[in-house]
Amino acid sequence: MTASTVASPVLVIGRGRRRAPRAGVWAAAAFLLVLAVIVVAPGLVAHGSPDLADAVSALRPPGGGHPLGTDANGRDVFSRIVYGARPSVLAGLTATALAVTGGTAVGLLAALGGRVLDEIAMRVVDVLLSLPGLLLALLVIAVVGPGTLNAVLAIAAYTLPGYARLVRAQTMVIRRSGYVEAAVSLGLTRAGVIARHVLPNAVAPLLVVATIEVGTALVAASSLSFLGLGPRPPAPEWGAMLSAGRDYFSVAWWVALFPGLAITLTVLSVTVVGRHLRRRVEGRLP
Amino acid sequence: MTAVAVPAARTRARAARPALVRLGTSVMVLWGAVTVAFAGLHLTPGNVVDLLIGSSTVTPEVRARIVADYGLDRPLVVQYLTYLGRVLHGDLGQSYQLHQPVASAIGAQVGSSVQLMLSSFTLAVVVSVTVAVLTAGRRWARAVFSGIELVGVSIPSFWAGILLLTVFSFGLGLFPATGGDGPESLVLPSVAMAIPVVATLSQVLREGLELTLEEPFVLTARSRGMSDLGVRLRHALRHALIPAVTLAGWLVSYLFGGAVIIESVFSRQGIGRLTLAAVVNKDLPVVMGVVLIASLLYVVINILLDLLYLAVDPRLRGA
Amino acid sequence: MSRSRLLPAGLSLFLLLTLAACGTRGEKSAAAGAAGPVKGGTLTFAVNTEPSTCLDPHQSPADVAGLFTRPALDSLVSLDAEGRIHPWLATKWTVSPDQKTYTFTLREGVKFSDGTPFDAAAVKANLDHIVAPATKSQLAAGYIEPYKGSEVTGPLTVKVHFGRPYSPFLSALATAYFGIESPRSLKQPQDALCKKVVGSGPFVIDEYVQQKSITYHRNPGYDWAPEGAGHTGPAYLDKLEIKVITEDSVRLGALTSGQVDGIASVPPVNVKQVRADPRLTVTTRQAPGGNYNYYPNTTSGPFADKRVREAFRDGIDFATIVRNLYFGAFQPAASPISPSTDGYDRTLEGRTEYDPAAAGRLLDEAGWSGRDAEGYRTKDGRRLTIRWGFLKAAAREQRDTLAEQIQAEAKKIGFDVQFVAGTVNEWLERYPKGDYDLVDFSWQRADGDTLRNLFGTSSIPTAAKFGQNAARLSDKDVDGWLSDALDTTDQAKRAELYAKVQQRVTGEAAVFPVYVFTYLLGASRKAHGIGWEPQAYPTFYDAWVEQA
Repeated sequence: MTASTVASPVLVIGRGRRRAPRAGVWAAAAFLLVLAVIVVAPGLVAHGSPDLADAVSALRPPGGGHPLGTDANGRDVFSRIVYGARPSVLAGLTATALAVTGGTAVGLLAALGGRVLDEIAMRVVDVLLSLPGLLLALLVIAVVGPGTLNAVLAIAAYTLPGYARLVRAQTMVIRRSGYVEAAVSLGLTRAGVIARHVLPNAVAPLLVVATIEVGTALVAASSLSFLGLGPRPPAPEWGAMLSAGRDYFSVAWWVALFPGLAITLTVLSVTVVGRHLRRRVEGRLP
Repeated sequence: MTAVAVPAARTRARAARPALVRLGTSVMVLWGAVTVAFAGLHLTPGNVVDLLIGSSTVTPEVRARIVADYGLDRPLVVQYLTYLGRVLHGDLGQSYQLHQPVASAIGAQVGSSVQLMLSSFTLAVVVSVTVAVLTAGRRWARAVFSGIELVGVSIPSFWAGILLLTVFSFGLGLFPATGGDGPESLVLPSVAMAIPVVATLSQVLREGLELTLEEPFVLTARSRGMSDLGVRLRHALRHALIPAVTLAGWLVSYLFGGAVIIESVFSRQGIGRLTLAAVVNKDLPVVMGVVLIASLLYVVINILLDLLYLAVDPRLRGA
Repeated sequence: MSRSRLLPAGLSLFLLLTLAACGTRGEKSAAAGAAGPVKGGTLTFAVNTEPSTCLDPHQSPADVAGLFTRPALDSLVSLDAEGRIHPWLATKWTVSPDQKTYTFTLREGVKFSDGTPFDAAAVKANLDHIVAPATKSQLAAGYIEPYKGSEVTGPLTVKVHFGRPYSPFLSALATAYFGIESPRSLKQPQDALCKKVVGSGPFVIDEYVQQKSITYHRNPGYDWAPEGAGHTGPAYLDKLEIKVITEDSVRLGALTSGQVDGIASVPPVNVKQVRADPRLTVTTRQAPGGNYNYYPNTTSGPFADKRVREAFRDGIDFATIVRNLYFGAFQPAASPISPSTDGYDRTLEGRTEYDPAAAGRLLDEAGWSGRDAEGYRTKDGRRLTIRWGFLKAAAREQRDTLAEQIQAEAKKIGFDVQFVAGTVNEWLERYPKGDYDLVDFSWQRADGDTLRNLFGTSSIPTAAKFGQNAARLSDKDVDGWLSDALDTTDQAKRAELYAKVQQRVTGEAAVFPVYVFTYLLGASRKAHGIGWEPQAYPTFYDAWVEQA
């Protein structure tokens, strides 16, 4: 039953032969490049401090000294979005990195560690994949408490099983293919074969999927912040900014609109670039 | 062939096996969920009795009863078996913060959530099938909708919900802002929740359709004079549904997560908000209960989908 | 006093479940030219919070339980806006010369909605129920601590005994927390009472569904309205529904789109917009009791030094921030208690002034003269850090936005303010230990005795006793004045004593008054006669809706 389903639509979408227009891919790549700069050095882009509160200039509309207006505390929305890029993007990246690392370890162990280990690992994975992801994350947060790091851990916890299954399946395919046997017959050790041949081949498609999944993880992280389970104030974070801004939407649309736009554009760009990469990588796979 | 196709192909073979296998897997998932919930309780730092009570206060007698009920004075294995036994009897425990059994707390809220999930699911299926059938293989329509779908999968549902509320409820006054007032109050939350599902499903369906439309049997059907729409609906769609059904697990999972967010954005009652409040207040019995109920629903939905699978893929019948 | 009995009183305080509500006065909201009250119809009202843990006001930690049960519960007496007590289920009463015994004569012919007759035994059963340890009363019992017992002296006469003179008794008795429930329903287990209460009120509770709403229908036999009500006999409305809509924007949207007839807590930012809508009205009412204040821990940490407290209070422009963040909807506070509380000292207004330079000098004097790389003040290499027990999950009225503003302003004068509350449970561990530097809350109570809750030595929170004196102030003079005020029913004398308390605690900077909590009730012009009770909850006995 559980085997009939996949953990993420990324695994079945966008595999068609048709490509996104080149211009779209370039635009997305350019956006991600700018985003990378912002994440590394927000001070280069934003002129003001993200925490500089000034009640007198609260809820100013975009224009003048505030290109995207000010929030209820009179803080510059543009600066907050720029400084908020780091926690928001890093949450998605870190959660995915943790899940990929853990998933690879579990997947390899299952595929190469013998029948019993494989059965146990895969049944656990089946169970975890059959529990709704966000609920599992909420259970983790109920256990460890809210906070930035805990939210990241929670997301990593529920995405890990999907990667484990993928790595295992990939490893099985490679193991059965001729070249591993060939390498062993040439006198290489088992560990050497795993490190030099199995791992790279199993991980390559995984990384492509993971690239696209960074976007999903980013949305999950911002959802948790939106629900008040993420970073503490006054840390600027897109989901938290949006959550605070929604109460003012009817009188100050810019406070909640721009953080939402930032999330959407980032996820969109990650998806476009990720799908493009996949089409290129998959062309070269065995 | 890609990695994903492997399990899918295997399933087709496995679906033919007796229903016992499926039942076995279902039982295992439920057992796993109980184990996860139990592990959650014991991994949480602090005294288990205090965790179960949460921020409420109870008399020493109640405390003693909790210790007895959960077997907390006995070895961990016994506690685990005790808990398992209680869940088997349908006893999800007591929420000391809400002054009621977890089962009744969830029971009072689950109907509203199921309504939301079903309506949003139905909406998503209808819209994505329509979009896929109308756009598959048609260059311009396809390009436009691909763009829309990309935005659809990227947009966070809480943001979509807020935008919908602002425009259609506060601005135009077309729909009520909050729930409890008949079917029209379901419209906006269902739409907000369905957006990513539509965007995902229609892509999968279209890709499936496009592959199928190049199959020889489609050509045969066309040559017999069948209309294009007829071919798409009567022949191609059925084949395109098969990859879409593999998304069922993701979909159920998404709908549960979506309920937490959408119910909170729209101030709707439901298990999503119940869960969120329980997480914030560390009401662990409720969180554990919701995890169990969710896995039960997952199992039920998957059995239903397996039946649907048989219906759409006639090759599996009688095999 | 056992910990288990008193801890929850703090819960009610820190969950801040106080409802933001207020009422329009019936005569005020009746539109000109509209015909008289119409019988029938349903009124739907939306509030921002619910007593999800327990509906029974005798035991609930959530003060909003008072709003939810008021339509179904009558009290022995009622209290008007001017603080006068009127007969209700008690037709008259006398107080013994030593002020320790109250004798009530009860109204004849009153029946609970389950058919049980109302009598002296019922009063005794209710008061005993509130203080019974098994009830674990989390709010109500705290209002009658010196209660000794009740004595049934006749079918309709009852004597209530206290261990000491206790002047706030009658005003406490007028609240919904002392609503008289049917003795038959009180015999049920406590958990059952948490879902449904049965009283003699103008409405009967149909069903309470958590996160959704509570519904009522008219009590057709009702004929014992309090003196001063707009009419007598049964209520006008056939049905009443109170919906729970926690999201500010959604609740407002429900009002503007006509989905509900009235809402509690119009978001301050939207008050202007609602006022401009010809179909809607906004009525405001300042709540009695403790304002929304910040309380510094006067016993440990940086705020143990009075100069540091003064620097925080004077170096941050609280008044300007409040005016800007709340768009003028809330008045900046000058005293720990609100202007609508008996004994409010008006002379405190305008006494403290924003003066960052003076604040800097005070901090220098106190030894916090260093500066670290991030611009925070230091003393002996330690940063001037203020640990604030702020519960974001329980914040309402944009108090989290306000807190972030204060945090940013405090940074300008060198304070590093950090939010440390964590989850409710973690906070409940810290609070009684005094493991914090700053706490924020509002504390509604229609009596000057609220000052005793906030500053009496007896209400300093400890592991054994949960109290509201978050400043942990222990001042013999204050205790003396508060005790003297309990002994007298002379309003002028009490006001004088309470003024002394307010001057002392503001002089000591043991409290940073922030804003006067004000009920902002938005309603459709088609809804009339929504009244209010002194605890500042809307009441619906006189309410009616124009039929389309």
